[in-house]
Amino acid sequence: MSHMPSPPPRNWSGLVFGLALVALIVASFASLSLKFGEFFTADALHSMAEFVHGFFPPESGSGFVRKVALATGETLAMSALGTLLAVAGGLLLAIPGAGRFGRAARSVVRALLNVLRSIPELVWGAILLIAAGLGPFAGTLALAAHTTGVLGRLFADALENAAPLPEQSLRTNGASPMAAFFYATLPQTLPQMLSYTLYRWENNIRAAAILGVVGAGGLGQMLKYHLSLFQMQRAASVVLAMLLLVALVDALSFAMRRGLTR
Amino acid sequence: MLELRNLSKTYASGHPVLDRVNWTFAPGEFVAIMGDSGVGKSTLLNLIAGLDQPDPGEASPIIVDGVAMSALDDDVATRLRRERMGFIFQAFHVLPHLTLHQNVALPLLLNGLPQQRADDMLAAVGLKGRERDYPHQLSGGEMQRVAIARALVHRPALVLADEPTGNLDPDTAHAILQLLQTEIRASGACTIMVTHSPAAAAMADRILRLTRSGLRESNAVNATEQ
Repeated sequence: MSHMPSPPPRNWSGLVFGLALVALIVASFASLSLKFGEFFTADALHSMAEFVHGFFPPESGSGFVRKVALATGETLAMSALGTLLAVAGGLLLAIPGAGRFGRAARSVVRALLNVLRSIPELVWGAILLIAAGLGPFAGTLALAAHTTGVLGRLFADALENAAPLPEQSLRTNGASPMAAFFYATLPQTLPQMLSYTLYRWENNIRAAAILGVVGAGGLGQMLKYHLSLFQMQRAASVVLAMLLLVALVDALSFAMRRGLTR
Repeated sequence: MLELRNLSKTYASGHPVLDRVNWTFAPGEFVAIMGDSGVGKSTLLNLIAGLDQPDPGEASPIIVDGVAMSALDDDVATRLRRERMGFIFQAFHVLPHLTLHQNVALPLLLNGLPQQRADDMLAAVGLKGRERDYPHQLSGGEMQRVAIARALVHRPALVLADEPTGNLDPDTAHAILQLLQTEIRASGACTIMVTHSPAAAAMADRILRLTRSGLRESNAVNATEQ
């Protein structure tokens, strides 16, 4: 008579983790004095409606529209230049980060990339405003610093995961390590790297708009200025410009990434 | 052209694979090396190419055109491979993102030579008019034709072929071997082909068998070694 093998021991860690998570959520709500009831009173709803109403109609005077257009261009330039600097920095760091100069260099560079990307753009912006002063230069550097960390890591992973055979074959045929890298490995990973770059550019458009809030120029700075003066209709025009810009760049980047992966 | 003197190789694990192999290969000859799996045929090719280091002991175990490979540093060995050697692999190793012309022209580009001969070589291997095609548009046999053109385009003195027909059906393999034979006759390169296939080995001028006791001449091909 054959015996079924005994079932694997039950893993309780998932259940314990789930219960601990629920307990944490309950404790979070209990410790905060959230007044959801007051949020939905007739008074609150009336104030909200009044607040939203203040945004309409958005300011459309030609002078102001020109200012918004200039700020839009500034935001676009910040994001494009920040991304471009990050591509250069990321690629330079990705080569040692992919272990091409030994394990020690790989570990050091990967740690540096971790530091760069674990500090958000807003924090980089606040730090760099002290060094570079108010305006788009600090914003551009902030975007470049964070995105270098992100792209450097992604590029290094792409290089590490590239099929080694083409490069080995070129080395066997007498190509120098650099020639083998540029003819075999880099072209293999280039479409993936371009795709990552475009995706990060999309993110940086949004980040550039927000960075202005800490004084780094562009649409964000305009938004903060008009909101702080309660000029809601002007603020609405700025928000509208942000939405249009993000939608435009998203569509453009999506189309380009689709083209690359075809 | 190529001399092996007491060439030995032991893997890092301590497993000995080649033990005092001696042979002299003449310029222009086409030699097939057969032997059981794991006997060290591919290791022998890697050692000849300078991609692997032989055991210490013999001062100059591998001499290519009068040059002792073991005396060369990595850069000089790389240059020697680039200028004097051509390689044909079982898996073709054609670069997928380059056109056929660019693939064949690579050795010329690396050696700083004019690239016109790449198209002549493609025509010689029956791929005239397909210079702008990419490898994904080719069959296995066509890819091996490209690999042969690439191996011979810079007129190397020594061609090393590791199971060049291992991934091809018998008819295509026969056609490829005939092409290889014709091209190496025309180029005058000494060619060493490692193979398990008796049919492939039969195309060579000389058949050698690699065993634990070294290389020996063996014109009788074992039919069971298919």
